[in-house]
Amino acid sequence: MPIIAVDAMGGDHAPDEVVKGVAQVSLSTDIECLVVGDESRIQHVLEAVPYNPEHISILHARDAIGMAEEPREAVRTRKDASLVVAVRAVAEGRADAAISAGNTGACVLACAKHFRLIRGIRRAALASVYPRHTEYLGQDRLALLLDVGATVHCEAEELVQFALMGNAYARRISKVASPRIGLLNMGSEETKGGEALVETHRRLRELPGVDFVGNVEGNDLPRGRADVIVCEGLVGNVVLKLIEGMAELFGDLAGVAAERRIAWRVGLYLLSRGIERLRALTDYTQYGGSPILGFERLFLKCHGRSNAHAIANAVKVAAKAVRDRVPEEIGAAIAALR
Amino acid sequence: MHPLLCRWDLDKTYLRSEFDTLRTLVRTAFERAEDKVEIPGVAEVIKAIKAAAARRARTALVYFISASPPQIGKAIRAKLALDGVPYDGIVFKDQLQNLRRGRLRNLREHVGFKLVELLRGRLAAPSDARELLFGDDWESDSLIYSLYADVLAGALDAGGLEPILRRIRVDPELIAEVAVLAERARGLGGVERIFINLERRTPPAIFRHFGARLVPTFNYFQTAAVLAGDGQIDPGDVVRVAEALIARAGYTDRRLENSLADLVRRGHLASAMADAICAALRGAGILPPTTAATSRWRRLVASLRRLRRPRHPAPVVPPAPAATAPLDYEAILNRLRPETRPLPAAATATPREEP
Repeated sequence: MPIIAVDAMGGDHAPDEVVKGVAQVSLSTDIECLVVGDESRIQHVLEAVPYNPEHISILHARDAIGMAEEPREAVRTRKDASLVVAVRAVAEGRADAAISAGNTGACVLACAKHFRLIRGIRRAALASVYPRHTEYLGQDRLALLLDVGATVHCEAEELVQFALMGNAYARRISKVASPRIGLLNMGSEETKGGEALVETHRRLRELPGVDFVGNVEGNDLPRGRADVIVCEGLVGNVVLKLIEGMAELFGDLAGVAAERRIAWRVGLYLLSRGIERLRALTDYTQYGGSPILGFERLFLKCHGRSNAHAIANAVKVAAKAVRDRVPEEIGAAIAALR
Repeated sequence: MHPLLCRWDLDKTYLRSEFDTLRTLVRTAFERAEDKVEIPGVAEVIKAIKAAAARRARTALVYFISASPPQIGKAIRAKLALDGVPYDGIVFKDQLQNLRRGRLRNLREHVGFKLVELLRGRLAAPSDARELLFGDDWESDSLIYSLYADVLAGALDAGGLEPILRRIRVDPELIAEVAVLAERARGLGGVERIFINLERRTPPAIFRHFGARLVPTFNYFQTAAVLAGDGQIDPGDVVRVAEALIARAGYTDRRLENSLADLVRRGHLASAMADAICAALRGAGILPPTTAATSRWRRLVASLRRLRRPRHPAPVVPPAPAATAPLDYEAILNRLRPETRPLPAAATATPREEP
């Protein structure tokens, strides 16, 4: 069984929700969690919830990186921070993958500092799943968007590599035999988007073994046109936050409307089952986390507001990615490209 | 040496009985011995206690007290024989008598029955006997055993016991019987440990009210480790329990190591004893040989020591069970039986002097 290093001190609700998530996993699976953080605080939370100690070990780390800290400086100077210790534990082979709900920039930089890039990979990418409409029976209701923040601007070579990483991840984790790859652009024509995107389009179109569907536009994102959408980090991050913001806005608007008019309240009550299903679809706690792809070792970045359920799902996804040998699949795809 | 008296609950402590639904209850009642499943490692722990006592020329008596009806006794005895478990007696609850007398509540309420049987057994045992009690987290074993231990320790008299039993609606006839027995057994002392098998995975923090005498354990490897820490068995006996868990329950070296580390963190096992057990496990080839750079256990212990040094100047050693603070039964019942009424002020345990 894989061993997953869990940064217990990262996230808005750490360490309580993180430790509770680990406890949940310990009861329902054989996955072992190496919980990294303040041992006495971790143990205190653990003893107050049902857990199975056979699947939990604790690695003490006396420091933690805050959500608002400057990532580069924090990773450079805080060698005993739980995130850094967790990543180091994976790099040293004491765990097979790591997860954290902490500072995203610090997560990426800690991985960059301690993990080796897969041979041939130029830059790592942070990938994120998001809910979308499906176009055919059996299509995964989640699409993969990468990069969403590990980079700012990218060259064509890097975007092509992102496509291969996303392709491998979707094949292994979402079990999509031949994922449809789309390039996020400002138009469907292959000449749109500037030099890097035009070059990326050309190379992806010519790439054997990849089902490239061409450029996808913003309004294609919620549809099922592509299973993996490739973009540079700046754009991906904006898109991801926009999706989250819209979901929250709809919830808030419905709440305000319900307060103002009784007819709205009745209407929302009648629609409650559908709304619940919609909420479940957009519930980030179901998806686990966002993998940082491109390194020889795996790292999953969870949402900063992750609760125990989200952490538990992230641990399971990380274990699945280890078992399904995602980095090896990416490595093979990159080797074939060379 | 003082004789050792070990009293075991049966269902969920020895046997992995299922009676969550009427269907499983009926199935359990009619199960044959070979269909009954013991909790991994339990038989080896009992054998280890007997064997260690024999090595030390000490008498160790093993008794089972079960709230199951005597009608299943034949299958239970056959199961114990199948497992090769040496035991000296077994008591069942006469549920038919409760039915005949229309005392339906007594069918499910076991506190009175178990207290009577524990006290009777203690009065029949040598007066200088030391006791180990084994139960689980499904019903009220932690409460029953603690009440019993406090009576024996002289911390709880019949006057203090009665309101507690009334609050949890024990049959008045049984309360009277318990009171008589408690007065006779009061001050005999001797309960050294209470082990609660966390079959339901109840959070260990729930048991903090019961003091250091009670140790909640997640598996019988942990129970064996604490017994070794108490000097009741040897690290070699713990190895045999570990071997049984690996051979028959799919345990791995990591699961065993993690179980030990959990005990150390919870303060139930001294690091030195954990080291001794690890050395024995390593000697038996269960744990990989240690190297300075890669010993995971050493790293765990080292990190624990680093953590505790500045905060706890005194070394962390499991507290002696005899020196437990008086138990707050009101707090215990408020947690375990919140549906029952609070006790009158005078009904809590009489405070005991710390040695």
